[in-house]
Amino acid sequence: MSLGGDLDMSTSPQVRKVLLPIFRKNVSHIIVDLKDVPYIDSSGIATFVESLQLSRKTQIRFSLAGACPKVESIFDLAHLKTIFEMAPDAGELIGGEQSR
Amino acid sequence: MQLSGPVILDVPSDPAVMSAVRGFTDKISRAAGLGAEETDKLVLAVDEACTNVIRHAYGNRPDGRIRISFTAKEDRLEIAIRDFGPGADPATFRGRDFSEVRPGGLGMHFIKSAVDVMEYQSQPGGGMVLKMVKFISEQETS
Repeated sequence: MSLGGDLDMSTSPQVRKVLLPIFRKNVSHIIVDLKDVPYIDSSGIATFVESLQLSRKTQIRFSLAGACPKVESIFDLAHLKTIFEMAPDAGELIGGEQSR
Repeated sequence: MQLSGPVILDVPSDPAVMSAVRGFTDKISRAAGLGAEETDKLVLAVDEACTNVIRHAYGNRPDGRIRISFTAKEDRLEIAIRDFGPGADPATFRGRDFSEVRPGGLGMHFIKSAVDVMEYQSQPGGGMVLKMVKFISEQETS
């Protein structure tokens, strides 16, 4: 799924509403493309932490792709950069999947 | 940049205005002489502080008021965020342990990492003020 715009207290609930139900579907890998997300705050990060918890529970792989340096630095500030699977772009993750 | 007096933003406790608050904070911070990285962290801190006010002081009600004042001095930018909610014990405001991977509890960490001084004060007529100070290094102002 691709997101666009700031991920903050006003937009995160909508993302949560769309993202979390995907973990109930028959999928093996969920990639969230952040390349058009210029800003994230703790509300946005909380949505992804919740997704990560669901990912561990459901064994569905969960990745974030294309985060700009500013967004990446906020994950770093939260000590979460190494907890998430993050790739420079979604294509890299999809390509890796196909070559398996 | 030193201003002759504080710049005051008075906004509703509505998450929809936070984008405008961030834009304003970014401009004031840069004008005060803070660098790009420090400004990004300060913008996040103001955002998180207002988010805390919306959630905890107003219980997500959008009709409360948040007054944000910016005072730029030669060596520092002072920011005060005032709410008019029922008030709370600042001792209960703390971030989660970084070793716990769970949603929430990051806002206070973001605020602390962005500023040099932060202090909550209860107000006599009700509500709280969060005072934050960010010192401006000579490197940033040069």
